[in-house]
Amino acid sequence: MFLKIMFILAATMTLGGAFLTAYTKNLMHACVYLLVSLFGVAGLYATLGADFLAATQLVVYAGGVVILMLFAIMLTGGIQNFVNKFGLDKVPSMGNGKTYTIAGLSMIITAFIIMKVLAPIFKTNVQGELPAFASTVEEIGVLLVTDHVLAFEISSILLLGALVGAAVISRPRRGK
Amino acid sequence: MISLTSYLIISFCLFIAGMTVMIARKNIIAMLLGIELILNAAAINFVAYTRFVNQNLDGHVMSLFIIVIAAAEAAVGLAIVIRFFQIKETIHIDDATELQS
Repeated sequence: MFLKIMFILAATMTLGGAFLTAYTKNLMHACVYLLVSLFGVAGLYATLGADFLAATQLVVYAGGVVILMLFAIMLTGGIQNFVNKFGLDKVPSMGNGKTYTIAGLSMIITAFIIMKVLAPIFKTNVQGELPAFASTVEEIGVLLVTDHVLAFEISSILLLGALVGAAVISRPRRGK
Repeated sequence: MISLTSYLIISFCLFIAGMTVMIARKNIIAMLLGIELILNAAAINFVAYTRFVNQNLDGHVMSLFIIVIAAAEAAVGLAIVIRFFQIKETIHIDDATELQS
């Protein structure tokens, strides 16, 4: 019962946040709705028994990515010209009716195709006893340094590259 | 009620919302928000299949790597956006036409 309430709450947060991210007109509000949606995803992980993953989701996304995006929005906001370099009217940066119509139509087509292709997968009913929730931290730690150690090392190199790359790219150039 | 199908449908709706953001928005940061939604949809699928189908934790590890890659992608993407803003003073996607012939 408690699990069911948590699931409904998390699903509502996830989907509501995602669709408000898609349809709000204010970029700052969209970022905050994305935060709501990511909290909902962390709740879904919790209802699936993935405790370590839920905590990581909260720490990395709420503490890192969304704050980074808010900073980027605040650093780049403000200037907006409504004509392009040819003097023609530009699509407003948060989209207008036309772009939303295109997006909606293509999403309907995509949804139809995916439903056609994945219908047998959606119908698979996995019956049987689900295991009780147990802590996953120890097992994930063991897996990370045994089975997945190559991916672990590669992701560390990727993070180092991302760090150095971000610093190099966003540094102001001198003497040019 | 809490079955594999419900999680798959939630992930599907999340993917649809993310793709809508990426197509409809013309702001580069707003498009990055859409990418985050799509990556989260994939990660939910991994964890749901781990819970309901095979119960070994490889799916959790894969979701963990998805989170790591999303963080790296956000950092580099936002660095590129800020650099682009310093040069062009706009973050409209239609102004990024330097490589078009």
